[in-house]
Amino acid sequence: MKTTHKTIGLAVFAAAGYASLVLAAEPYRESASDATAMPPSVEKDHTNTYPYWKDRANLPALGGKDEWKLNWKFRDRPLNDQLHGGDEAWDRGEALYKTLNANGSFAACLGAPDGNLKGLRLKYPMYSDSFRQVVGLEAMIEHCAAKAGAKLMNGSYDNSAVSVYVASFSNGMPIHIDVSQGPLKESFERGRRAFNLKAGRNNLACASCHVDMVGNNLRGQTPTTMYGDAAHWPTWRGKDELQSLHVRLTECDRNAGVQPLKIGSQTYTDIEVYLTALSNGYPYMVPSMRD
Amino acid sequence: MQKRYVLGAGMVAVIAASGCATQTQAPAKVSEAKPAEAKPAAVWPEGLPKTALYNPEGKNKTLWPQPVKNSGELKYNEHARDLSKWLTRDPADMRPLPKPMTVSLNGQPLNGDAARGKEIAMNTGRGNCWACHALPGDAQPGSSGPPLIGFKSRGYSDDMVYQFVYDRRAVNPNTVMPPFGAIGNLSDQEVRDVVAYLQSLN
Repeated sequence: MKTTHKTIGLAVFAAAGYASLVLAAEPYRESASDATAMPPSVEKDHTNTYPYWKDRANLPALGGKDEWKLNWKFRDRPLNDQLHGGDEAWDRGEALYKTLNANGSFAACLGAPDGNLKGLRLKYPMYSDSFRQVVGLEAMIEHCAAKAGAKLMNGSYDNSAVSVYVASFSNGMPIHIDVSQGPLKESFERGRRAFNLKAGRNNLACASCHVDMVGNNLRGQTPTTMYGDAAHWPTWRGKDELQSLHVRLTECDRNAGVQPLKIGSQTYTDIEVYLTALSNGYPYMVPSMRD
Repeated sequence: MQKRYVLGAGMVAVIAASGCATQTQAPAKVSEAKPAEAKPAAVWPEGLPKTALYNPEGKNKTLWPQPVKNSGELKYNEHARDLSKWLTRDPADMRPLPKPMTVSLNGQPLNGDAARGKEIAMNTGRGNCWACHALPGDAQPGSSGPPLIGFKSRGYSDDMVYQFVYDRRAVNPNTVMPPFGAIGNLSDQEVRDVVAYLQSLN
């Protein structure tokens, strides 16, 4: 938007009234319990379930009512070697990647100029100079695919398939996103507020179910902790859907009675940054599957 | 909206000058409608952030994305209801949230129907009480809130139960329970029906 003299003049005039606007127009809001400890890492899991995932020997030990503590729903490999739709998606992702990256520019666009995908997934979400904002991997895949002349919409099967393929080269490597400074810190703080903000027709925050009600029954399901979750996306759902994190957030929102937001929106990206930071220390593991 | 009253004249001028106040309206489909029955143009709800997945020209309007196998396209479907009137998670959403409300029957009869109340409580798309509470006859009881089986024997007055369902926040500020009446999730009559249902549980 071009700044004209008229706009500058009005902006100065408005600045005088800005203080009262900020003080008076802050709307009433409610928050759920915030369990986030700083600096964020999976070791800070407020439900203390990480010791069970960390020590694989513990996996069969818990059962019944405590099974949710294993966060086993994602069926981490190599303990579960069942083939599922996520593996089919990996094959698709590999084929698409090879076509897109025929001249090496796709990988360079994603941030791997030498074509080496190992560890690339762990750089996301990142601040992008071309977007001038923090973006997730799927948003970058959409952008880089468009430059290569292909349409891979953020949240689409093909986009998620390429995401699974690219991320698989970081399997076993622990997430380590730095949210202590800069745009990632701002995004983390916004994501933290969004996660704890009560919204929708039921006045529920993400934290209402994943902090306040974690481990309890929500009809036939048990909400699990958000720590360790981000290492498994995109995931293959039992309802035969390859689901990216943002698409999952629209489903969470609908289940809670909240109007969903756009795939790739800043709010969802902020929540993605928040969730990723809470999984600092957890090794990446795709393709994953869950109910 | 409340905030308009505190805007200084300067801010109003800036907003008007920058064109932020204008809303894009879809043109009315005159060619498809008889002149006497022309539908009003679909309007983006005031205050709803532009990041909302929303089609004002649709039936239920709220949208959700569905990936299509082996495709780079995303299919969008309509949700079961329009969720736009409630607050979203986008921090740009400045719409008001109703504060905790103290309510009373004011000595008037409850006039609730227990059978209708059961249909509301045991329905995921309506009250969805069974998500958190154990209700008689439900195979998948929720355990996030106290069980409501045998609720009648708790001996609460209709007035108190009306308050609990209408807005539990006024009783417990830290509650997770949705304020069904205060937030406009259930109508006043629906709240009364749920109260009648609860007060009938042996």
